[in-house]
Amino acid sequence: MNIGFSAPWALLLGFAALIPLLGRGQPAILYSSISILPSDPLSTLLDRVLRFGAAAAALCLSLGIAGPYLSERWVERIGTGAHIVLLLDRSSSMNEDFSGQYLGGRAQETKGAVARKLLAEFVTRREHDLFAMIDFSAAPIYVMPFTQDKQAVLAAIEATSGRGHGATNIAPALAMALDFYSGKPFSGSRIILLVSDGAAQIEEETRDQLRQWFQETQATLYWIYLRNPRSGRLSEKPANPNESTTPEYLLHEYFQSLGVPYRAFEADNPDALQHAIAEVERLENLPLHYLEKLPRQDVSNYCYGAALAFLALLLGAKFLEVKSWPA
Amino acid sequence: MIPEFHYQVSWRSPGLHPGHHRGAQHGASHEFAGYAFLTANPDPRNLDIRATLHDPFGQLIVRTFRQRSAIPVYVIADLSASMGFRGTTSKTRLLAELTASVAYSAYRTGDLFGFIACDSAIRRDLFLPLRWHKGAAAELLKNLENFRPRGRSSDGLSEVASHLGKQKALVFLVSDFHFSFDRLDTVLKTLVRHDVVPVVLWDSAEFDRLPLWGLIHLKDPETGIRRRLFMRPALREKIRASFAQRREDLERMCTLHGREPFFLKDRFDPDDLTRYFYRA
Repeated sequence: MNIGFSAPWALLLGFAALIPLLGRGQPAILYSSISILPSDPLSTLLDRVLRFGAAAAALCLSLGIAGPYLSERWVERIGTGAHIVLLLDRSSSMNEDFSGQYLGGRAQETKGAVARKLLAEFVTRREHDLFAMIDFSAAPIYVMPFTQDKQAVLAAIEATSGRGHGATNIAPALAMALDFYSGKPFSGSRIILLVSDGAAQIEEETRDQLRQWFQETQATLYWIYLRNPRSGRLSEKPANPNESTTPEYLLHEYFQSLGVPYRAFEADNPDALQHAIAEVERLENLPLHYLEKLPRQDVSNYCYGAALAFLALLLGAKFLEVKSWPA
Repeated sequence: MIPEFHYQVSWRSPGLHPGHHRGAQHGASHEFAGYAFLTANPDPRNLDIRATLHDPFGQLIVRTFRQRSAIPVYVIADLSASMGFRGTTSKTRLLAELTASVAYSAYRTGDLFGFIACDSAIRRDLFLPLRWHKGAAAELLKNLENFRPRGRSSDGLSEVASHLGKQKALVFLVSDFHFSFDRLDTVLKTLVRHDVVPVVLWDSAEFDRLPLWGLIHLKDPETGIRRRLFMRPALREKIRASFAQRREDLERMCTLHGREPFFLKDRFDPDDLTRYFYRA
């Protein structure tokens, strides 16, 4: 814990604390002979208390003016979970149900709605995880950086309930998700939870780039593939693998070649989706160490509070002062 | 008008000057001293017939008398800074009134008067040599009343004795006696030749009329010491008790050296001084 000052020059005012130690503020009354007065320990004590009180008040005020603060700190926290980036597909096909019928943006049983519902439950259950969220369709949408604030994450998931648009363009979304990890200490498992119902081809250059980033960040990739009956399965090699007709299979192959832990879950109905999410949940339950940055904290209030206490003492003494002599 | 008081001394004045007090010199007066032969003391007005007839040798015998003599009266004033205290009234004012009264009374009694003031040394500017002063009283009153004592100590008191002359004198030692008893003892010892009346100038504001509650910041004008007192009934009693004790000590000490002190508090009343001298 480091203490800093926003206006260190004001500490020079602390020399004012010497003034009450050198003399008393009260005007002196001439008395014929002090040495013959009886000694009075209580008066001596009170005198010292008042003088040191005045000095302390001056010190506290100068400290307060100097603006002390506890500088920002990193606090290590332990989570039982992971850094999870939710990568949620919002392409127009998410508005279909699992059988491939279009249901409209607000429908309850679309793939998107089921995914949202199950993800919300998943987020609620994972007490200690950090979540970040990215929506993507043709381009990724930065929704939320890593946070522990469940309300925010749930609200972000809820906010995707609008009608999906456009195509599925995974590569930039993955790039953005990986970017969330850059510069963060490697303190626990990193999970990218990709929820999508399709794939798109990724250019060769981008593939290499993504592979490199995956290896740098060591993020685990889970792909929950919301398959509709017309699409091919990931496990079965299609007869004629082709970028334009079976991009899912090729993407699956590419993911497998990334060199990071990867699993794909095929879900062709809501139950399968639930199973897939439960499986992810089961896999990722390791404790997570991470550092949290606490902002710098202004402590001048305490100085002013102390000064107030001392000044109140002096004020009380002021009221007790005898101004006229003799009484 | 300057008030006067009456004083008497219990000792015979050896002085030659005729005056008001019992003297040691033979001379014309009414105090019978003894018999002498007319040849030795040729004053036929004092022929004592009974004594003459009793004399077996038939010598003429006269009565002799002691004359009444004048005595020197001094006021020695301590004008150290502590005498600048102003309480009920200023101490210099009290001192001026007393000194003027002594000077005038001495003049009226026919005695010589001298005034010596001292702080850390003897103050030559206020010195008044031993004379029959007629107008000294008014002048002293004026000078002393406006005097601002600044002396850092009352050391001059120890030097005073050498300025008093050899003849036994009535000495008013006026001070607040706010110094150590050692100093008092030394001073009184140097004045052992004289009849010293210690006049203690105190003010009730110093020790009696103190505030019941409050913080007082006091400064000693002589030493410069400062002290803050938290006045409360207990401390007030303590101060009163300490002054009562000091008063007792002063009385004991001065009585040991000849006379008990005269306490002059708040107001000068010449009749008090007369009573002091004519007490039974």
